[in-house]
Amino acid sequence: MSEALVFRNFGLAHRRPGGEEVLLEGVDLTLPGNGFFVLIGTSGGGKSSLLRILAGLIETREPAPRMTGELLAFGKSLTGENPASLDHDVAAILQDEGLLDELSPRENVEVALRAAGRSRKLAPALLAQAGLHNPPERVAQLSGGMRKRVAVARALASSPKLLLCDEPTAGLDPDAARTIAKLLRDAHDQDDGRTTIVITHDLDAFEGISDGILVLDRPSRSLRLEPSDFRLSHTDSVAISPEGDLGEPAAVHWLRRLLLQLAAIGETVVDSVRRAPPVEMGQVVRTTLRFVLEPALFVAVAGAVIGGLATFFALRNNPIDGGFESALLTGTGKVATAVLVPMLSGFFFTARIAAGASARIGTMKRTNQIAALRMMGVNPADYLLTPLVWAMVIAMPLVTFCGVIAAALAAAFAAHAASGITVNGWATAYFMTVRAQDVLVILGKSTLSGYLVALTCYHLGTGPKRSGGDVGESVNSAIVVGMALVLTVHAGLTFLIYA
Amino acid sequence: MHRLRYFIGLVTLALAAVSAIWIVRLLRSYDERPGLSLSVEFRNARGLRAGTDVRYRGITVGTVRSVAISGDGRKAVAQLLIEPTGARHACVNSNFWVVTPRFGGLTGGATGLDTLVRDSYISFYTPPNSGSELSDGSLLAGSERPPSNAEPEALDDVQHGDLLMTLLVPENHGLIPGSAVIFRGMQTGDVRSVTLAPSGTHVEVDLRISRKHRHTVTDKAQFWVARPTVTGALLSGFTVSDVSALLTPFISYYVGPGEGVLVQDGYRAAAELARPSFEVSPVPGKAVQQNNVRGPIVSDDVVLVRVVYAALERDTLSRDDPIKREGSGVLYLDSSGRAVVITARSLVDASFTEGDFWGDPEIDNEVIKVHLKDGTVMRAGRVWVDPKGHDLAALMLEDARPDLTGTPSKRIVFVSKAEGQFQLRAVGPDGAELPTQPLTEGLPITEDNHGASAVADGKVTGIFGRKPGGTVSTVVVLGQLPEDLRPR
Repeated sequence: MSEALVFRNFGLAHRRPGGEEVLLEGVDLTLPGNGFFVLIGTSGGGKSSLLRILAGLIETREPAPRMTGELLAFGKSLTGENPASLDHDVAAILQDEGLLDELSPRENVEVALRAAGRSRKLAPALLAQAGLHNPPERVAQLSGGMRKRVAVARALASSPKLLLCDEPTAGLDPDAARTIAKLLRDAHDQDDGRTTIVITHDLDAFEGISDGILVLDRPSRSLRLEPSDFRLSHTDSVAISPEGDLGEPAAVHWLRRLLLQLAAIGETVVDSVRRAPPVEMGQVVRTTLRFVLEPALFVAVAGAVIGGLATFFALRNNPIDGGFESALLTGTGKVATAVLVPMLSGFFFTARIAAGASARIGTMKRTNQIAALRMMGVNPADYLLTPLVWAMVIAMPLVTFCGVIAAALAAAFAAHAASGITVNGWATAYFMTVRAQDVLVILGKSTLSGYLVALTCYHLGTGPKRSGGDVGESVNSAIVVGMALVLTVHAGLTFLIYA
Repeated sequence: MHRLRYFIGLVTLALAAVSAIWIVRLLRSYDERPGLSLSVEFRNARGLRAGTDVRYRGITVGTVRSVAISGDGRKAVAQLLIEPTGARHACVNSNFWVVTPRFGGLTGGATGLDTLVRDSYISFYTPPNSGSELSDGSLLAGSERPPSNAEPEALDDVQHGDLLMTLLVPENHGLIPGSAVIFRGMQTGDVRSVTLAPSGTHVEVDLRISRKHRHTVTDKAQFWVARPTVTGALLSGFTVSDVSALLTPFISYYVGPGEGVLVQDGYRAAAELARPSFEVSPVPGKAVQQNNVRGPIVSDDVVLVRVVYAALERDTLSRDDPIKREGSGVLYLDSSGRAVVITARSLVDASFTEGDFWGDPEIDNEVIKVHLKDGTVMRAGRVWVDPKGHDLAALMLEDARPDLTGTPSKRIVFVSKAEGQFQLRAVGPDGAELPTQPLTEGLPITEDNHGASAVADGKVTGIFGRKPGGTVSTVVVLGQLPEDLRPR
């Protein structure tokens, strides 16, 4: 039997502002292949961090945990300058399962199969193997236990050599927990070369199932392998106060965070170009249609109110009754059409669409859906960024023109109401100074705004999300930053072109 | 992996810093545009605000950056920033004043009416030979009203050959620079300046009579300031003369046919106190009997015309470019009797010469005018261009007179290959023919010879233009011209 994991003088520490929190130190341990292990330890002891290191899911926008010594998985080193990636050799069932809400349970498995280069037709068999013969159409309709089963089926799609499970029985009653534990063991036994590590607090559910128990001992910063009948004593679980081991100064920590944030922005921009060809054209078309139809009425009404009011009051408050009307119409027409309505349309579009888009991505990040995508070998940019960029780049100009047209129609109506001006007379004056160039400029401004708002939503949505509050914060930031970018683009281009 | 990310982060930070510096510099460059900073003191700023225009000859050449009260509280000081184009015209003796609506009574007219509906603005005028240009930060005294030689911007420049003379009048009666000088009801000149004589006994009015009309002024000419006068008595009825001078007074003069001798520049004359009584001489019989044919004055039978082309090239990301070209063409009547001018296409079709980054240029507001030798100006339309890309175009005059004569057909040959010794014949801006020019290799295309007729053995064989696709000059032969556009 070959060795699955080898720890050699392995140490693990979280970088915190002003110091490091050491989790493991001098671990020397070898896990044999084909074993089914349960990993236990106190909360916050580093179990999930270890799992994320093994699964290659380290958060890239925060300073990475500091690793010392060596950690080998199937002979590949996961530490050092250029850590290896296990790719399809590893699969993880994360907390919250990370099922893609927008797809059916079967499609969730199919995505994983396709990413692993296997036939999608295997999905029903995998679901059946996980105990789901007729899964419902939507992920939202799944019970807690069923969600775990779909997650297991999806994790098995790539036939991983190392299967990692983070609290797979959390939130389940003892019977359901036991069933899931058995399911994991059965899945483990179906492949001779597979090693399974399950993080759990529920040792009862795995009683008699595991081949050994990995104990992550916080006080001694050690990781050891115990026999399967090991039980955690009360003293073992005493919480330890975090240690402020001296590391780098807080300023350096924040500088690291800043640089990583900037790198992530750069990565988002590069991804938006490199990943521009859509992988799923249907998704792009659906998203575009949604982004056009949802805000169109809202923006049209807003544009009509602005265009109508501007024209109405310009004519009504005319100091020389009936004089200079064409000049007033020409002035309001140029300003409203070329500058005001496009910018406000951009604002309304951002308020209506950016919030939803960043909330969706933020929730996906929070519920590990994005980690699951990575785990399956799907680049989240293909699945989330590309459709977003295309949809916003196409939808923003269309919606803006909706606003401009509505503003123009309302202005015609207002001109008639305020001064009895005919539609022809209004059109002659209103569009006197509006030229093809203005249309091109509107197109340029709204397209660039749409692109930047899309990047903003994706970048803020995919940032670290530790709580629901982080998701809310990212939604708020997407609206504020999105609107600021729309304002900057409109003001900047207007200044450059018309000044 | 994280090391690479830190590096990318540093690169992004550097890019952001460079962009920020660039944007700040761009904004600063707008703020610190090279220009002339001036302070002008006014007793009353009359509603001036920061951001209002500074104009020279009606064109905005700067802005008011701030308006403040002077340290002693007696003046308003406007800080002006004048762009380089305008700064060249701001001299030590320039007059700055605030333009607001002014009514000069019945005779003075009204000025600054545009500021009724807009903000006030500052205008300045620089008299000729006004000394050195102003240096940055100069402080000038502004005036409350336009200078006495106001409205000079409305005056045409003095042309070579114009008669410059001075009229002495007992009182101004509202004359201003630009007021008309009228002979037999026709304007023959204008007032250049109005000044009180140093002795204070009269007003000196400098006049310009245009070259074309200077022969109408002799030493027997009687001048007067035209203003409405009522003559007659209650019972016999009234006669009101010069009613048209009610709002805009003008100077009038009269001299009978053949009376007196022509005067020289600097001639001084005293105006009559009132309109003198005289009988206007009737139209002489000789003039009636003259064969009153209007038409080009043909020195030989090749009729050359001046072609003036103007258009606007619309640009998407920059300011629209005005295009103006001038050159020559050959006029003749085609087989249907229509007046046709053949000329170089590069002279009358901007889409042929202009290029645009986005593709074909957007040419707008095209106007083609043809000046005949007798001074008549006619609009023309482009009716044909050489489809093979040669520099040849045909224009057709709009509303041509039926008596118009063109080049006889025997003088134009439609060959397909240029042969022989060519000479270029063209007309200048005044419609007069320029000296014949031998065609030499590599002759540059200029306003004088653009579209000039290439003549060999007394016959027009081609047009002087450019080779297809290039700027090298060549003779474009007329062989491509369609049959129905050729002379009868």
